Amino acid sequence: MTVSAIEFTRLGAPKLHLFAMKCGKCKELSPWWERSHCYKCGHDTLTEFELAGKGEITNYTVVYYPPREFLGQEPYVVGHIRMDEGVTLPAPVMGVAPDAVEVGTRVAATLRRMKLGHEGDIYYSYKFVVDDDPAPKKTAPARRAAAKTPAAKTPAAKQPAARKPAAKKPAPRKPAARKK
Amino acid sequence: MSMRVGVLGIGKTPHKIQHEKSLKDLGVEAGRKAMADAGVDPSEIQMLYVGNVGSVGFNYENSTALMAAHHLGVVPAGAVRVEAACGTGAWALHLGCVAIASGLYDTVMVLGMEKMNDLATVEGTSIIAQAADSKEEYFSGLTFPSGTALTARKYMQAYGVSEEDLAHTSVKNHFYGARNPSAHLRFECTVEEVMNSPKVADPLKLYEVCPMTDAASALVLCREEILRAQPNRPQVYVTATSMASGTWYQASDTLDDAYNLFHRPATRAYEMAGVTAKDIDVAEIYNSFAIQEPLGIEGLGFAKMGQGWKGAKDGSTWLDGKIAVNPSGGLLCKGHPLGATGATQAVDIVEQLRGTAPEGMQRADAEIGISACRGGPGSVGAIHIYQRLEG
Repeated sequence: MTVSAIEFTRLGAPKLHLFAMKCGKCKELSPWWERSHCYKCGHDTLTEFELAGKGEITNYTVVYYPPREFLGQEPYVVGHIRMDEGVTLPAPVMGVAPDAVEVGTRVAATLRRMKLGHEGDIYYSYKFVVDDDPAPKKTAPARRAAAKTPAAKTPAAKQPAARKPAAKKPAPRKPAARKK
Repeated sequence: MSMRVGVLGIGKTPHKIQHEKSLKDLGVEAGRKAMADAGVDPSEIQMLYVGNVGSVGFNYENSTALMAAHHLGVVPAGAVRVEAACGTGAWALHLGCVAIASGLYDTVMVLGMEKMNDLATVEGTSIIAQAADSKEEYFSGLTFPSGTALTARKYMQAYGVSEEDLAHTSVKNHFYGARNPSAHLRFECTVEEVMNSPKVADPLKLYEVCPMTDAASALVLCREEILRAQPNRPQVYVTATSMASGTWYQASDTLDDAYNLFHRPATRAYEMAGVTAKDIDVAEIYNSFAIQEPLGIEGLGFAKMGQGWKGAKDGSTWLDGKIAVNPSGGLLCKGHPLGATGATQAVDIVEQLRGTAPEGMQRADAEIGISACRGGPGSVGAIHIYQRLEG
């Protein structure tokens, strides 16, 4: 395996283990490349926040005309993956046919060959595969369901305790406007 | 502040694949045409702003402004190259306007030029992808077509718009592109043909994507008094120039961001020119991919968010509609010579206001025009307003 030494040093680490950058002030998660300030509130203390590697396709396209570095992989699917922790990452999705890919599909990160560099050097990075174990423990719909159930069941006396999960984590995402 | 910068001369090359001409040839051709149109000698040009994006990658040459200065004969005028992704030509125009408005110069030239067809499409796609973060976000195999395809799907999901609805934009552009002698693609097409054209990046299809083109466009700008002193010349002025930056990463780009990319600079531009969106007769709106036209229409205030696609279907953005949008055929037909595009849009609007647009493209009695150019993943918003202001 040959890799570009410069780029491996500079970019290797974030791509070999998945993390997001967490804002020290507003706690917003940004993609790993936001190193200087939080794009939401502008605060400049960002720390690495490990991601579990699972998420959901929220948007996708199929590339039929790739740039040179990806030649031979086309047609390939590139999606916006909303990680269970809440941050969105763009990445290729493997093992799904271009006409079968769907918004809402559960996916898991995996390390794959990404592209060839300008000198034929091989770059590795994360791609996603369809998740065979679609048990979303932390997705927003599941959280909403978990928050509702105890509130409905709990008798009035226990309400303070029951309110907690609902107040703690309001679903941060807008309801996904899915087509059909 | 208000501003009046005279448009003394315009010139452009055909927009097409031109293997017989070099980048230099294209720049010189457009620049000379503009000087001839302006009736100025090269020695009268005091500053040259060159918009050019990818000469290092496309043509293996650099310092193209200095090259152009020599071959246009404007030496010893200062010459500088400007780069801001696909907003490059508009940025060169902005700097030209600022130079005149500041009072520092009497006459300057703005020249946009790009020669993209020295390389195969796959190489060109790689070079264009460098206008996004090719080391980070576009490391994922995204390209400009596929990145914009994500925006298109977002738009369709949010507003319940179908691919057929969006196809009307291409039909309208191709109707006029077929009538534009300097356009790259000159054929009409139907909704069915758009829908059946090969997929480039789902849901974008071939007829919704601009071609790579070789071309140059130039304008000679001057102080208001200079143009006023020549009342026999068409009295067209740039009355607003307004620039903005926007999102650099598509992953965090929302439809609000896409709207604001034009909305913010356009709001300033309308104020600067003292006009409103309703006053505009003709608009050239960046559409290297069809979806960007409805987004632009909304950002400029011609339609509400999510409604911008309707004009192409109901006729209100056709030549005789409420407002003529892209009567040149837009980038979809003219092609998108990266650094030239912003300048070409300006030249096309000036032709409209002079009443010299080709037959079938001329908006009747056009007095106020606007050009809107964007660049990068969602990173440049560039608005210019032009007015015919007789005596």
